Amino acid sequence: MHKIPSYIPQPLLFSLTSIGIAATLLCSCGKKDETRQLILTGSSTCAPMVADMAKRFEESHPGTRIDVQSGGSSRGIADATSGLADIGMISRNLKEGEDLTPHRMAMDGVCVIVHQDNPVENLTKQQVIDIYTGKIENWKDVGGADKAIVVANKAEGRATLEVFLGYTGLDNADIQADIVVGENQQAIKTAAGNPNAISYVSIGEAAYEAEHGTPIKLIQADGLAPTTGAVANGSFPITRPLQLVTKGEATGLAKEFIDYATSEEVHDLVEKHLFVPAGN
Amino acid sequence: MPDPSRHRRTRTADRLLGALCWASALAVVAVFLWLLWDLLSQGLSHLSWSFLTGTVEDAGRGGGIAPVILSTLLILLVCLAVAVPLGVGCATWLSEYQRPDGALAGAITKAVDLLASVPSIVFGLFGMVFFCQVLDLGFSITAGGLTLACMILPIIIRTTLTGLHSAPNELRLGAAALGMTRHSALRHLLIPAAVPGIVVGVTLGISRAMAETAALIFTSGYATRMPSSLSDSGRAMSVHIYDLAMNVPGGAANAAASAAILLAVLTAINFTASKLSDRWHAKAVVTR
Repeated sequence: MHKIPSYIPQPLLFSLTSIGIAATLLCSCGKKDETRQLILTGSSTCAPMVADMAKRFEESHPGTRIDVQSGGSSRGIADATSGLADIGMISRNLKEGEDLTPHRMAMDGVCVIVHQDNPVENLTKQQVIDIYTGKIENWKDVGGADKAIVVANKAEGRATLEVFLGYTGLDNADIQADIVVGENQQAIKTAAGNPNAISYVSIGEAAYEAEHGTPIKLIQADGLAPTTGAVANGSFPITRPLQLVTKGEATGLAKEFIDYATSEEVHDLVEKHLFVPAGN
Repeated sequence: MPDPSRHRRTRTADRLLGALCWASALAVVAVFLWLLWDLLSQGLSHLSWSFLTGTVEDAGRGGGIAPVILSTLLILLVCLAVAVPLGVGCATWLSEYQRPDGALAGAITKAVDLLASVPSIVFGLFGMVFFCQVLDLGFSITAGGLTLACMILPIIIRTTLTGLHSAPNELRLGAAALGMTRHSALRHLLIPAAVPGIVVGVTLGISRAMAETAALIFTSGYATRMPSSLSDSGRAMSVHIYDLAMNVPGGAANAAASAAILLAVLTAINFTASKLSDRWHAKAVVTR
């Protein structure tokens, strides 16, 4: 009987299996040593900024490891409560029944945005309410062109939605939305892509995009211009805090990191991420 | 006597069909080119050697993506190391050890098909609870890889099954007539015959795994540090692209650059897989 040569699949399978075994070994013996580790989860608005803070913290505190995970404010609350994360990140105020300790890092304003070509400059709170509840359906009723308004609302669970509801006093069920969006960038792309759309996003992000050529316009709220300055001095009516939350008082490494993230040492990072440092 | 007007009608119909096929083919190519152009026009100026080798700076707006590329490849390795042996084993059992009309085999095939249609976010949430919490793997490359393995398992099982079914039954009968053990029949005849199917499955699986965001953001996570072991959290390329495009103002250019690299890596993997498959298939045919 002639010998049938063996084929590559066997070595392939073999090597893959060995990688699998090696992987398991690596897992079991890798780290878990003296490095002090901290896990943060939550708000996708906070995550990039906190990740930058964590990086700098690790550099100045050797032997520490701060893992920042994303997922949304609701997840930050859930994970901090369940203990899956040492610290949660939220981009709103704590609500009734959320039994956590907040630590404020920064402030963010939320403003209404429209397409650059929309002639409307200012909307009163009542006008915004009427537009979002469907009482005003045409831009001409608020000083714009004779065009139907395309209302973009944020998805349930988004911190900006909750800030917006807090400002307008509306219930999400009252809102007559044409489009439901998730992240700030999606809201910005919606307003930039549709001359008749209205949406609302973080002021810092909207200002950054408008300066970098995205065709959107930031709308004044009751005659107040949405600027980070107005957020900083507290005059702008729609703001939200970016906070770290812990179950009970923070201790150990968690406390060290929170002290760092709320200190002046990170103000440049806060501003780089287009937010306003807390305590200003 | 053939009716000339009918003849003309058939010819028109033929031409129309040809034109439609051409149009569809061109439309597909056009969509791909447009996507490629969009990526390159935004990202090309940010592509450089230092982008490939640098670490992530300034939430991804600066620096490079080396840790992200490494994490992605590690996630992929864990995923394939688990999914390929398991998938090929399961398919072999289904095809060679069970009657095709058996109740158990039928139920498992149905389950596999059902698994293939589960949205990836469900795998992500499952992975977060099962691998990260129940098995206590935490946010780690291992947890991400295992979640992806669950996701691509049905693809590998399906294509391997197709490969095994395409092996002519004479191979099995011949092997039985020669008194070959089941093990050597599988090893020398049937698995080699199924190799093209397995390769297709692995290629599809890799493409699906590399493109995955939802299943990974909750399992392998968001950390951009250079991974030092498989128990580290590591950000996959698709997660990086998603975060840059969605959460980081001014991240669009680097998102496009990262996407272009992801596309290049995928193209290279596809190309290599199809070349390897050709080679192995040619060998298998010669020896038969």
